[in-house]
Amino acid sequence: MAKELPGYGTINVPKDRAVPFGAVTPAPVCTQDLFQTSNWRIVRPVKDDEKCTRCLICYMSCPDACWIYQEEQDLMEWVAGFCKGCQICINECPTGALTAVAELDFPDGVIRLDKPF
Amino acid sequence: MAKVHEITVWTRGVTMDKEGRDVINIFAKAAQMDGKHAQAFDNYEDLPDRVLVTVRKYVRLSDEEIEHKYIYHNENPEVVVIVEPTIVKGIDILRGMKKGGTLIINTNRSIDDMLKFIPNADLLATVATVDADGITGVRTVDFSGSEGGVDTSGIGKGVAAPICGAMARVTGWIKKENLAEIVGDVSGMERGYSEVKIKKLG
Repeated sequence: MAKELPGYGTINVPKDRAVPFGAVTPAPVCTQDLFQTSNWRIVRPVKDDEKCTRCLICYMSCPDACWIYQEEQDLMEWVAGFCKGCQICINECPTGALTAVAELDFPDGVIRLDKPF
Repeated sequence: MAKVHEITVWTRGVTMDKEGRDVINIFAKAAQMDGKHAQAFDNYEDLPDRVLVTVRKYVRLSDEEIEHKYIYHNENPEVVVIVEPTIVKGIDILRGMKKGGTLIINTNRSIDDMLKFIPNADLLATVATVDADGITGVRTVDFSGSEGGVDTSGIGKGVAAPICGAMARVTGWIKKENLAEIVGDVSGMERGYSEVKIKKLG
């Protein structure tokens, strides 16, 4: 389906990806490796599985979907690559299972971006 | 054309943006008081209005007039200053550096601890750390200096003062007496000058 747009030339949309006007498009289910934001982080949340009740408030309050509930192991999983260290989950956690620990205490989590942001 | 010394300062947006800007302005001003030619650039490529994003500030020093004033980007920095130590994990801070460079980090951790996070540390001849947050503990936040505005809060009142003192001692390009006339926190600058830990590599 080729479409002529004034001033923009022609864009070719494959038939299987063409979407009618007003359609609901599915959200991307994959992570965008080009938009890693973990080098913004100064502190990281460290969870205590004993105190955690799996209430999923961290999952709901995280602006970047960095907490995932793993049903098989019944554990919360933290996504290191996109956590910006905003500490919202730490403030929202009702049982105090999350604590902020300085990022330099951990040898892992090193990413070296080519671009500064 | 005389040699141009390039200094890159890495800091973080909004929370430490003003301190990083103070470092370059103080350093360039102190060099100019010594009769050197200096340029200090705020950042134009990164986005300093985003909280905690890594941003750069640049200084250039030379004995003669610096001609390339329209390039606001240090391709081969000789000295890299890290205002917030976690930046070493997130980005290749020594990018473009030629062998024999200098790295100055604001941290209370040991130099060997910090070198673990720098895979290309063989480029460095000198590493120095100064605990600027421990010396003053003040991080001034001011938005008015960005985008061509004027700093109304004065310069060198926070962690920039000890960092500049450490830079004066490590590089030797500026004098402590000139710094004392510029910075707001003179005792912090003196402590940074005397308490900086320097390690020579290889």
